[in-house]
Amino acid sequence: MMLEVKDLSASYVLPEGEIRAVDDVSFSVDEGEILGIAGESGCGKSTLAFSISFLFPPPLRHVGGSVLFNGKDLKNFNDRELRKEILGTKISYVPQSSMNSLNPTRRVKDIAFDIFRAHMDISEKEMYERAKERLDLLSLPESVLNMYSVELSGGMKQRVVIALSTLLGPELLIADEPTSALDVSSQRIVLKELKKLFKDGVFKSMIIISHELIILKHLAHRIAIMYAGELVEVGETERIFKEPLHPYTKALIGSVLEPGKRVEREKIPSLPGAPPDLREKITWCRFYDRCPFADEKCKRKQELVERDGRLVRCERGKDI
Amino acid sequence: MNLKKRAGALNKKLLIGAIIFFVILIVSFAYPPFSKRDPLEMEGMMFEPPSSLYPLGTDNFGRDVLTELIFGTKTSITIGFIAGSIATLIGTTIGVFAGYCGGNTDNILNTITNIFLVIPPILILIVISVSIQSRSILIMSLILGITSWPWTARAIRAQAQSLRNREHIKMAKLNGESLAEIIAFEVLPYLASYIVMAFILQVSTGILNEAAMSMLGLGPTDTVSLGTMLEWALLFESARIGAWWAFIPPGLAITMITFSLYLANSGMDEIVNPRLRGVV
Amino acid sequence: MSYGKYVLRKGLWYLLTFFIATTLVFIIPRLIPGNPISAIVAQMGSGVPSESMQRVYESFIRDYGLDKPVVLQYIDYMKNLFHGELGISFSLYPKGVTEIIGEALPWTLALQIPAILVGWILGNLLGAYAAYKRGKFDKVLFPVSLLVSAMPYYVLAILMQYIFGVYLGWFPPSGGYSMSAFPSFTFDFMVDILSHYTLPFVSLVAVTIGSQAIGMREMSIYELNTDYVNYSRMLGLEDRKIVSYIFRNAMLPQITGLAISFGTMVGGSIITEIVFGYPGIGTWLFNAIRQNDYPLIQGIVLVITITVLFANFFLDIMYGFLDPRIKAGEMEEG
Repeated sequence: MMLEVKDLSASYVLPEGEIRAVDDVSFSVDEGEILGIAGESGCGKSTLAFSISFLFPPPLRHVGGSVLFNGKDLKNFNDRELRKEILGTKISYVPQSSMNSLNPTRRVKDIAFDIFRAHMDISEKEMYERAKERLDLLSLPESVLNMYSVELSGGMKQRVVIALSTLLGPELLIADEPTSALDVSSQRIVLKELKKLFKDGVFKSMIIISHELIILKHLAHRIAIMYAGELVEVGETERIFKEPLHPYTKALIGSVLEPGKRVEREKIPSLPGAPPDLREKITWCRFYDRCPFADEKCKRKQELVERDGRLVRCERGKDI
Repeated sequence: MNLKKRAGALNKKLLIGAIIFFVILIVSFAYPPFSKRDPLEMEGMMFEPPSSLYPLGTDNFGRDVLTELIFGTKTSITIGFIAGSIATLIGTTIGVFAGYCGGNTDNILNTITNIFLVIPPILILIVISVSIQSRSILIMSLILGITSWPWTARAIRAQAQSLRNREHIKMAKLNGESLAEIIAFEVLPYLASYIVMAFILQVSTGILNEAAMSMLGLGPTDTVSLGTMLEWALLFESARIGAWWAFIPPGLAITMITFSLYLANSGMDEIVNPRLRGVV
Repeated sequence: MSYGKYVLRKGLWYLLTFFIATTLVFIIPRLIPGNPISAIVAQMGSGVPSESMQRVYESFIRDYGLDKPVVLQYIDYMKNLFHGELGISFSLYPKGVTEIIGEALPWTLALQIPAILVGWILGNLLGAYAAYKRGKFDKVLFPVSLLVSAMPYYVLAILMQYIFGVYLGWFPPSGGYSMSAFPSFTFDFMVDILSHYTLPFVSLVAVTIGSQAIGMREMSIYELNTDYVNYSRMLGLEDRKIVSYIFRNAMLPQITGLAISFGTMVGGSIITEIVFGYPGIGTWLFNAIRQNDYPLIQGIVLVITITVLFANFFLDIMYGFLDPRIKAGEMEEG
């Protein structure tokens, strides 16, 4: 197992209260695996992605649980060691907002050099060569190295970010909504590039996060569904799509529109309302208020249990 | 409850600023009608130190500094208000038209604004003031007002620009409302808080510039203001003589007035732009 | 837009501003009834009391071509300006205005440029530090800067003069050098110059720090929340590197901020010089106003305007050079 997340909890501590964005989350990623994490915006999936780094810049705070990377507990690393030994080299990120993720006053080349320098001691010439190679792999010309962020188009920016994130050949890449800011054709290109880099072995495993399940369908081996800070269902992609167990998963799949495939609308429960306020402590099923199948049984704590070879947080999963 | 707590913390700056300002305002406007002393009357000797007769001593003409201070504060605030109103009016008009209309109107108005931002206002003030021999409170305010609008125009333009593509303004256009109607009912209400903030800053600018001009010898000619008090203190070298009571009271009064206005402005700014609060 | 084009556009813009500013200085006194120029002409008609004043005014009317039509006067005015001829002073007749300013300007520049630079750098460092640290340091720094920047430069100057120059007597309260000292390149004279320099310099620096720190704090808070800062952290960059990113990017708008605040700074520096009786152009302007020396007033106003325009132009050029966004034409330049 490459990554093991155990009972991880993290909160935003604000003057107006504590927001538990990640609540007791456990999952793992194997070498050679792509794990998808899906959920509505605000469900805590980005915070979860960020928490794996174990950095927790305020107001984010670690509440409990651990992250094991290749068996090493990240809790035992201090901030400096994390940055030097883990982030960027072993675990790397493709951020959600790639449009503004490049420092506007630094050339792509200089950003790449900064990343190299933070982790290793090699000559500038070698840095340049390696950066050029990585850009080439993403079908970006060498001239991009001398450009500033403003000189790049949206799709190019995203590919530059991917190149920078994979510059040191990380073992695990965490891509947080890598396509959300792009138009449809750029989206397709970026997904293809990610798949290619994975096949080429530039990185070994990946966690890809999206609010659109369809993006995960053709990429992820397994999918974890997140709702209100908790995982509600984890299983193999095919099975999740074929037979979702949790009502929220059903609703999410209902909102997936696939080209060339008609969706049977009437069978899908629509999803009115919004996720609960995470400042309040909810001891029963968090989906209760929005679930069309909710009844008295749901008014008690729901555990993530194994059923049919996957994990689901709904007692009534089978009868509905 | 949380919201209330936040609003309370926010308003602290605004509240403290407003309280300081209104205390000064009330004292300086309520006292003069009842005053038994004339601020311009030369009662005592030159630079008498504070005593029971002259609580803040006398100035170089033997005038009572306390009486001068209260009357002078009234003059300075009056000039600040009139000058501030004129500057805000001109600045808002130019800013709204430039920001809302866009295109060539914007190009021309913005170029003019930028030109007057670069030319130091004090120089234009000097050229105008030198040409006017007798400067009443009103004329002084007018001169100060028509030279300090560019800042406001720039700030309001930026805000008006952001409104241009809002839904309700497009609706109003489709409904065939005239430019004047759209500006009066759809644009100005959304800019109100920015206009008030700009006005607060302009009042303090007016007070500061009055004092600066007075110290150059180009202040109001027929009255006592905080600026003219400093002017005489400077001319008669009160600091070098050690007559601190001649320059500390007016200096402190100006500082307190501008500080209270800055504080109020900063508090309002935090309400309008939550990011500055430093929570996010 | 290439950098060359940007420089050219800026240059043309400042040329336009130069013409408007100098034209205003020409027109305003001629538009307002009872202005100094018409007053002088009127006095000539009714006979000036002293013969020497008569001569002074005559040369003034001749220099300014006041007997010619206004359009010709304007052309003469512009011609003289380009030749650096600013007329003859009334109060120091027959000394030329250009000569007086030439003697005073080095004092002013030697005081202003270091004071602005030091104040700007210290203010930006403090502001960035406050934004990065937040907490206690920030909570103390912010109100103090607000109070200092609310205190007008002249009040601060008088207070400094009184406390350090008179009450404590640490530094001479006024002047550019001692009356008894003879200007020379000796060690004693340099010490004398520096001791006179200290108070006006420190009071100018203090005011600049206050206003710059407030602006920098806001800009840095903004930069601190940007996506590239988060991304850099995730890629394992050190805090030191990230702070240097933030500092540089927040400082760029501060360059424009500095350019814009020149206008206000000029007023501040003029009066600071007056308070300390420093022999720069501010003190000369003060004397000229007291003595109705119109040619000297006009000359000083023109010289300050041109200096400020040049400083602004220089800063704009530097800004365009440092910020790639300007070259890409993405950001609007003011």
